[in-house]
Amino acid sequence: MKQHWMVRALSKTLTLFPISFSSSRACSSHSSSFAIKNVTKSNFDSSLSDLRRHVRDSDFVSIDLEMTGVTSAPWRESFEFDRYDVRYLKVKDSAEKFAVVQFGVCTFRWDPTKQSFIAHPHNFYIFPRQEVGGDARSYEFLCQTSSIDFLAKYQFDFNVCVKEGISYLSRELEDEARSQLHSAHEDELPESPCAMKAIKDVPLVRMADILFVERMKNKLNEWHDDLLQVRNGGSSRIVKDSNASIDQFETIFFRMRPAIKLNGFTSRQLRLIKSIVEKSFKDLAYIRVNGDSCSQQIIVYIDSRRDLELLMKEVKESLCKESEMKIGAAIGFRHVIDLLSSEQKLIVGHNCFLDIAHVCRKFLGPLPSNLEEYVTLVHKNFPYIIDTKILLNASNILQLKMKKSSTSLPKAFAIICPHIASASGLAHTSSVAVEVQVDDMRSSNWNSGAKHEAGYDAFMTGCIFAQSCKHLDIDFTNSHSSNLNLNLIKQNKLHNYINLLYLSWSSGDIVNLNTAQTTTESSVFKIQQPKIPFQNIALIWGFSSKLKARAIKEILCKVFGLTSVTSVYHLDKTAVFVQFSNPELVSEFLEMKSSLEKKKNDAIYVFHPLSELLEGGHTCAASYEAYKQICGSPVSKVLFADQAEAVGVKVETIKAQQSVCFHNLDTKKQINCQSGFPKGEMLDVVSC
Amino acid sequence: MPSFPMVWRRFLCTQTSNFSFFNQKPAAVRRPQWPIKQVTKSNFVDSLDEIKNHISESDFVAVSLKNTGSYSSPWHRILPFDTAETAYLKAKYAAERFQILQFAVCPFSIRASNKLTAHPFNFHLFPRDELKTGMPCYSFSCQPSYLASMARDDFDFNLCINDGISYLSRAQESAAKIQIENPVSNDYVTQSPSSRSVADNVFVERIKSKVGHWISACTRSDTRTDDALVNSLRKLILGGEDYGSRPSLNIDVCSERQVQLVFEMVKSQYENVVPLTIPAKGGGTQSVRVVLTSSKEDRDLFKTELQDIEEEQSKRIRGFREVIDLISASRKPVIAHNSLNDFAFIYSKFLSPLPSTMDEFRSSLHSAFPDVLDINHLMKEVGPLSKYNNLPSAISYLKRNFFAPIEIEIPQKASIEENKNHGHDAVRISELFAKLCSILKITHDNGPSSLKRHLNVFNQGSNGFLDEGDDISIWTHNPKKISIDNLVFIWGFRGGISAGKLKNLLCNSHERLSEDDLFDVRLVDKNCAVVVFWKSGLSEWFLAAIDSGEELRELAAEGFMGAGYEAYRRVCKFEVLGADLADSLAECRVLEGGEVESDEVYWNSELMINFDDL
Repeated sequence: MKQHWMVRALSKTLTLFPISFSSSRACSSHSSSFAIKNVTKSNFDSSLSDLRRHVRDSDFVSIDLEMTGVTSAPWRESFEFDRYDVRYLKVKDSAEKFAVVQFGVCTFRWDPTKQSFIAHPHNFYIFPRQEVGGDARSYEFLCQTSSIDFLAKYQFDFNVCVKEGISYLSRELEDEARSQLHSAHEDELPESPCAMKAIKDVPLVRMADILFVERMKNKLNEWHDDLLQVRNGGSSRIVKDSNASIDQFETIFFRMRPAIKLNGFTSRQLRLIKSIVEKSFKDLAYIRVNGDSCSQQIIVYIDSRRDLELLMKEVKESLCKESEMKIGAAIGFRHVIDLLSSEQKLIVGHNCFLDIAHVCRKFLGPLPSNLEEYVTLVHKNFPYIIDTKILLNASNILQLKMKKSSTSLPKAFAIICPHIASASGLAHTSSVAVEVQVDDMRSSNWNSGAKHEAGYDAFMTGCIFAQSCKHLDIDFTNSHSSNLNLNLIKQNKLHNYINLLYLSWSSGDIVNLNTAQTTTESSVFKIQQPKIPFQNIALIWGFSSKLKARAIKEILCKVFGLTSVTSVYHLDKTAVFVQFSNPELVSEFLEMKSSLEKKKNDAIYVFHPLSELLEGGHTCAASYEAYKQICGSPVSKVLFADQAEAVGVKVETIKAQQSVCFHNLDTKKQINCQSGFPKGEMLDVVSC
Repeated sequence: MPSFPMVWRRFLCTQTSNFSFFNQKPAAVRRPQWPIKQVTKSNFVDSLDEIKNHISESDFVAVSLKNTGSYSSPWHRILPFDTAETAYLKAKYAAERFQILQFAVCPFSIRASNKLTAHPFNFHLFPRDELKTGMPCYSFSCQPSYLASMARDDFDFNLCINDGISYLSRAQESAAKIQIENPVSNDYVTQSPSSRSVADNVFVERIKSKVGHWISACTRSDTRTDDALVNSLRKLILGGEDYGSRPSLNIDVCSERQVQLVFEMVKSQYENVVPLTIPAKGGGTQSVRVVLTSSKEDRDLFKTELQDIEEEQSKRIRGFREVIDLISASRKPVIAHNSLNDFAFIYSKFLSPLPSTMDEFRSSLHSAFPDVLDINHLMKEVGPLSKYNNLPSAISYLKRNFFAPIEIEIPQKASIEENKNHGHDAVRISELFAKLCSILKITHDNGPSSLKRHLNVFNQGSNGFLDEGDDISIWTHNPKKISIDNLVFIWGFRGGISAGKLKNLLCNSHERLSEDDLFDVRLVDKNCAVVVFWKSGLSEWFLAAIDSGEELRELAAEGFMGAGYEAYRRVCKFEVLGADLADSLAECRVLEGGEVESDEVYWNSELMINFDDL
């Protein structure tokens, strides 16, 4: 950990010196390390225009995301017993609840003259700051304590993220904001500002108010008369105004009309001024315009009613335009996603199903409720995605290279790209050279070493992919003959791997984004697990905390026979999956449980082996479908038993039909509750 | 320099001992820079002793929290039409989801009516899972706007996450103790010597001889100086091992009964042997370890050593909660601003999961913090202050309207580096409290009695929750209490409509509604409004009319929907509060079907306004 810190500190100091990389080849022998391109609010616009160019020229783009968490409850973690639809619901829940705080984008372009890839790694700090109006709730996010701790361990800078992070607006929210703006715009147009909008008179109660009103009346009169005098060719007295009132009454020109800018009044005073203007001056109009940071009150001189209407229309239009601009500006980081989507480049990720789900949720809109629709959505926006984890596990050539090692990103990087991963790693003839460019700095031996930083992770992913292509015998050297780009998408050798993503790495479920079909991985190296028969699985929760998996298995075996239970698997300490040897046993079990619960007071109950499982009276059981229903709920309680209760799944029948039952609120008890507190009155004066 | 006179005034009246006035940046002029001790993991242990002394020497403790969020939708705020129950449900909802990142504690005393002596501390918290037990919290919600505003105040998130103090609630501590296997020397309460069975006697005799054997072997080895090999061999044979510097022996037990028997036997037979229980994973006792001490003095020494270890361990587990326990144990009045929200947070993070009803919450909070005082409640005594429900505006209101100079003295030295000095709100609360005491003539001498009537009023911004009933006061110009029966929630109108227009619309919809001053309308959010009928009985008619669509055909045709207060109550109890009140109310109606009517009959008779109370 300390080492990481040192490396980063070093790279920071390095960037301070104007090292001139006149020839990138010259320093390729040393492992050079300069800081990755960090993009925040302040340099986003300039970086975006560079990135546009890089993406357009690129052969592929690798991405990686850092999130504030992965699972909103322990039982939502990835299990072997996840059916593909359940797995999708879990990923959907994760993408809906957690925020993306760092987004790594690394473009790779093959440079035939250098016989090397040119990579441009970018590390975007993003933060879901709400820039335009609308529902604050859609910006709220969850933090998983352990993930935050993990990020902190790898020196993630939360201050930069919150203060400098780039905000974004999803396509859905943008459309919403625009339609809201238009409806508001249409609403207001027919209403002229002077239309008899019941303006509440501010009652002049206090002496100070009355004096103030008189003073203001005089001031305005003076200004008004002066104005007319100037118009009629008289001399101006405005110049002679005292210093103090210049502060408060600034004469300006507002849309070619003389006007007073009101500064430093309280809101009450402003209201008083407004009523004076409306009551006593026919040719003055009081309007509010949005200034740079706050709204600004202005009194404008108008020639006629028509002029006023014209003015109001102008003001409204500019307001509207301004809001449009604001919405446009709020799009922020989504421009990057739009760019990736519109350029239809090959997108490379490492075990990136969750990453893609985040991209869709954060930058497109709500995720569909089922996997098939989701896949269509992804495919429409990102037609070519390749997952290096799939590649490493599915290709026999690469599996040989990996030598059964873990395919986690840092491990895979170290094995596949030793020449980049470490300074001592020797370059073979088969090694693919990657030259990194950050702004003006170049290095063919770059290593920032900042693991779990999205930008660097994206770079590693891209390097693995480039090297893997080489291992798969894809020829970079002359494939660009017709086109400047490599056209990797059309490569037959990659065809079998494109658009396949691990739905769940642990169960080896793969989804095909072209067809929305799910398959289970078959590979020589991975031990083939038998397909889990989900209809054989029952879910039990709410039992006594003393019962462990083995005890539950013993109890069930006593009732249904020694071979009846294949396995018992803990979701958490309050719930288990029980895999029976055949589906009939599931219904038999559920039936027996419910019938047994009905005769709780019988002697049979006490001696029945199942009674131990039912002890406490909170034990519930259901078929696998209930698990799907519970996973689909937006609620996330830490313990599964609490979750099931909150979702309100009650399963009693044999077929395990679930009836959603929101617990009836005992209203009568509510009202009757009396407590010892005195029924004293507190009269409240409240403005709503 | 328009702000200079103001600063000068503050300089004159709130002179602090090390108030560095001249080297501040202009931006900092607005907020006073009091030296507040910033506490993180690294200096927590030292600060704990310090704050312990200050709490015991002070008369009051002011607290103020900085959370990662408070409400997600406009209607999740506590609103004037909330009853104590619904307000509590909303506070509970927020407290369970969001996280405290800063906890400012300011023990203070008021001397001679205008001299405030304060010892402000600001604790940085982070719910790190120190013990790898999945506690204190698995995840928490954040609202970007809250984080952004903290960032504007130069809050250091990195410091907070890397060096924030963790904690466990009281409930979590007891759960954690089971998970952490640590020998416990709990003196087994010698139960009334129950009759021993034969098996018991056999067991006791066996253990007695085993222990006796072991002791004699140990003492013998003390007299002889054997070489290491012989010693270790003996240890192997006897099954003993060292516990620290003392020899010990593990005795396997099968039940709690046997644990008790071993303890009794050891106590009665061997004076210098200390029994310890070794907890098993997941509760219960795995074995008993007996430790041999050389003398009576040594035994006592060993016992205190054990206690120290235990104390140390507990301290590590409790973390920041130690401070909460100190405040709670001191029984000093706790001064807060928005006490319902703050104490819902304190309760859920540091005591136990929040109960489902306000009454349970109130009573169990009372046992932990007997005296809680809400600044907002005191503010109401001096003026119509509903508008001044944030600290700065309340302070400036008092400055404008009352002459109550308070001299703040902060004896401690702390860095007042601008970007690292947080937690001013706690000092502001104590300042405000001192001002209010001086205005309301509450002095410390008659303190207990004159304060008493202000205590434990859970007061949220505008509404007093002292009243147990469901009568609420709605708005400014009409401070009379009305029964919640007279409230109707309506939705289904065009979004963005103003309350005035909506009222007009309703007025014109039926002749029964066209009278003047019959009802009022307020928007709750952009899709939902609350209608308050000043006359009872009208709300039932309105609801029925809008449901049947006969009498209020036009409204019904436009898609207007209505629901009574009961639906709102139910919505507040939902597991997830919806973003949009209108949607939630509609969902509630679908779920409940026709039940609402039957309930209505009941609560209508119960909840008439008591005009005598007005």
